[in-house]
Amino acid sequence: MALPAEPSSPATASLPPLPSDVQVTPVRGSTEKMQFIRFPYGIYKNDPNWVMPLEMERKDFLDPKKNPFFQYGEVELFLARRGGEVVGRIAAIRNPRHMEVHGTKEGFFGLFECVNDAGITRALLDAAAAWLRERGMNAMLGPANVSSNQDWGLLIDGFDTPPAIMMPHNPPYYAALLEACGLTKAKDLYAFELSSSAAPPEKVVRIAEKLRVREGVTVRPVNMKDLDAEVKRIRDIYNSAWEKNWGFVPFTDAEFDHLAKDLKAIVRPELALMAEVKGEPVAFALTVPDANQAIKAAGGRLTHFGLPIGLAKLLLASRRINRLRLIILGIKEGYRRRGLDAILYLDTLRTAKQLGYVGGEISWTLEDNHLVNRAIESMGAQRSKTYRVYQRSL
Amino acid sequence: MSDVFDKCSNWKDYRIAKATGLYPYFRAIEASHGATEVEIEGRRVVMVGSNNYLGLSADPRVKEAAIKAVEKFGTTCSGSRLLNGTLALHEELEAKLAKFLNREAAIVISTGFQTNLALASILGRHDIVFSDRQNHASLVDGIRLSFATERKFRHNDMDHLEQLLAQAEPNAGKIIVTDGVFSMEGDLCNLPRIVELAKHYNARVMTDDAHSMGVLGDKGRGTSEYFGLEKETDLVMGTFSKSFASLGGVLAGPFEVINYIRHKARSVIFSASMTPASIAAALKALEIIEAEPQRRERLLDIAEKMHNGFRAMGFDTGVSVTPVVPVHIGDQVKCFRFWRALHEAGVFANPVIPPAVEAGHALIRTSYMATHTDAQLDRVLDTFETIGRKLNVIPETRPTVYEPVKIARPGTRVLHNKASETWAAGSAGLLADKGGLTLEQLSRMSSREVAGKLFDAVEQLTWRAANLQPDDLRKLGNAPMKLWEKRGELPGLLLEKGAHFFMRNGTNGTQSEDRN
Repeated sequence: MALPAEPSSPATASLPPLPSDVQVTPVRGSTEKMQFIRFPYGIYKNDPNWVMPLEMERKDFLDPKKNPFFQYGEVELFLARRGGEVVGRIAAIRNPRHMEVHGTKEGFFGLFECVNDAGITRALLDAAAAWLRERGMNAMLGPANVSSNQDWGLLIDGFDTPPAIMMPHNPPYYAALLEACGLTKAKDLYAFELSSSAAPPEKVVRIAEKLRVREGVTVRPVNMKDLDAEVKRIRDIYNSAWEKNWGFVPFTDAEFDHLAKDLKAIVRPELALMAEVKGEPVAFALTVPDANQAIKAAGGRLTHFGLPIGLAKLLLASRRINRLRLIILGIKEGYRRRGLDAILYLDTLRTAKQLGYVGGEISWTLEDNHLVNRAIESMGAQRSKTYRVYQRSL
Repeated sequence: MSDVFDKCSNWKDYRIAKATGLYPYFRAIEASHGATEVEIEGRRVVMVGSNNYLGLSADPRVKEAAIKAVEKFGTTCSGSRLLNGTLALHEELEAKLAKFLNREAAIVISTGFQTNLALASILGRHDIVFSDRQNHASLVDGIRLSFATERKFRHNDMDHLEQLLAQAEPNAGKIIVTDGVFSMEGDLCNLPRIVELAKHYNARVMTDDAHSMGVLGDKGRGTSEYFGLEKETDLVMGTFSKSFASLGGVLAGPFEVINYIRHKARSVIFSASMTPASIAAALKALEIIEAEPQRRERLLDIAEKMHNGFRAMGFDTGVSVTPVVPVHIGDQVKCFRFWRALHEAGVFANPVIPPAVEAGHALIRTSYMATHTDAQLDRVLDTFETIGRKLNVIPETRPTVYEPVKIARPGTRVLHNKASETWAAGSAGLLADKGGLTLEQLSRMSSREVAGKLFDAVEQLTWRAANLQPDDLRKLGNAPMKLWEKRGELPGLLLEKGAHFFMRNGTNGTQSEDRN
């Protein structure tokens, strides 16, 4: 096999050789876009834990007119082909808000899927890297699908269960592929599993209840009738609470509204809890039914042969959802380290039990956010999945 | 067995455009009222689609000169310049034009198009021609008829031109050929830089001043006068069908070159010469152009008024700095609908669609005459505003700010206005394709694929329905009322949606070669 004429510097010497018969080209036109969306079907054919996303949802996600990320960000999709057959895909992502907030010149790659071949992975990563370099970036993080406000990270541990809603999933061999191509760990993200059958540790309950009285904390469900105002309050808490987190970029109004609109369909107001101190909203916890259980049943489409088979399956399955995901728990600056989080965890847990949910996932947290991780573990939760964000200089 | 005529009988686009009433070409003008208004299909419309920049075609002095020439010399010269077709009038016009343009010699040729074809005679086998990609079709053909090598540079991209010049054989004869004013988008060539590059790489320069002679420069001598680079521009070409109120073209430059062209160019020696009436009209027009600079001033004032008028409404007039005022519409079918609505409201303008402009950048091209009255211009602006709103090209309310236009007035040296976002090509591949289907594609698909497409459509509908928000539902509740209010618009809307199904969207060939 002919090797590509590359200078064999120490950095590239150990990299897998680029396959000569694979072409990586940017996605142009709707046919290629559909190929991009449908490529994972083959990869996950035999993975019982994969949740096939709804094709239309993915289409809207990649539509610059529908996804608010495109109001500022720029994405180029690439497909790798071998003899006409698609063997891999990747997205190169320019997120100017990330660069502005963190003062770096980091770009992203994401939506990565590939057959088990390190050469193809390298070709894909090189294409994304070249695209980012052309736009003046000097480092690449990922996988991000397509920003840290959507989902990101590569699953490296915990392949035995399906992903929770809005969390990524991938075959176990991806980590080896990326590492073979010289990518290194930037940060790990954790997901925790909590069963609602186990009673919370008594000590935590005692402290939380004491706090509730002493600080005058009231917890109430979100008022769905006044959703616009509530969304605004939540956004304030969220953007303030995550401000200094690694990799965090504040939501734009359009992005937050879009997310709120998406979640509104599945959210149960009893599980969207707002904590107030003297009438001022200071903390917020959002737990949603794990709609992935229902989406999985639909098999990627609402209709089959023009009949609403998927839709029927989805609706049926959505009545049997028995798991939750705690997506957001944020506390305003100035109210942290007071145990507000424990109160919200407890109330969520109690409500979940009342509503008949067996348990769920708390995700994701940064590996070095010890304060949060310890609080979650003190509730009796077990770490269930680990995701990794990789990096590479360009 | 294929037949040469097959492509003609299989040509669907024409039949569709004709059947839908959106066919905008070859409209017969039945009468003219002072050139600024004409009658079409019995309807009197304001003419903003002609290149009669100074409005001289209706000037009584010009008309009379033409009539006198017919009385004196008859209706035609019945032959080539070389043999029996040269009149004293031809020589008078050539002498006067050479003087007007500050050149040693000039030659007049029967049409502007042939004038550019005559260029072929001086381009030899080892010469290299550097031409702007958006040059007029006649220049493209002129170069194609020669044996010289052609190197096209990206529109007004001087770095690209330099790159091509640097790569070329240093000892070869070189000439840079460009439009002075580009006819569709109204921007100027970067003559200062072209001249600089020409000097450095030892190349000749020729400008096609069809749209700038009589319009730009203090004395109306065109692009090179406007930039103060007349000495540096070796050859200048102009037409009589625009500002000169006639038909024909002129090429002016060094005596030896013009003399060579006079004897060698096939479009000169194998074509009948300009008719007496055409020459006399051009002669009189030249006289008026020299004597009445206020016409040029008025024309540029009008250009500024129209550019800013359109911009204030939220229209985009692109990079133009001249009385060529393109109004950006975007979609090709919408452009036809816009044109149709203009026509019905009494405004004659021209739709420009791919491949003359890039796909998705269809525009309505308007151009003005010094003789347009303010009332006529206001009527044009009002009409554009009403239709623009109706067809959703501009917002319901005027934008609070707009960027005023820069006009190429004598003494300034502007090349073009800043290109706006809507004109800049969308870079992301995601935006590029809307995924419309053509009949041809459909006929090539297997029944299985067609069924797949159908099921996909059902899937999409179901998805949209499943995602309806209460707000959307409320809007849906009003839909019947809204539809009823917009009932007059419905056929047009359906047409626009439906037409994409049948018409290729002009994605083949993004750069214009065949224009006008």
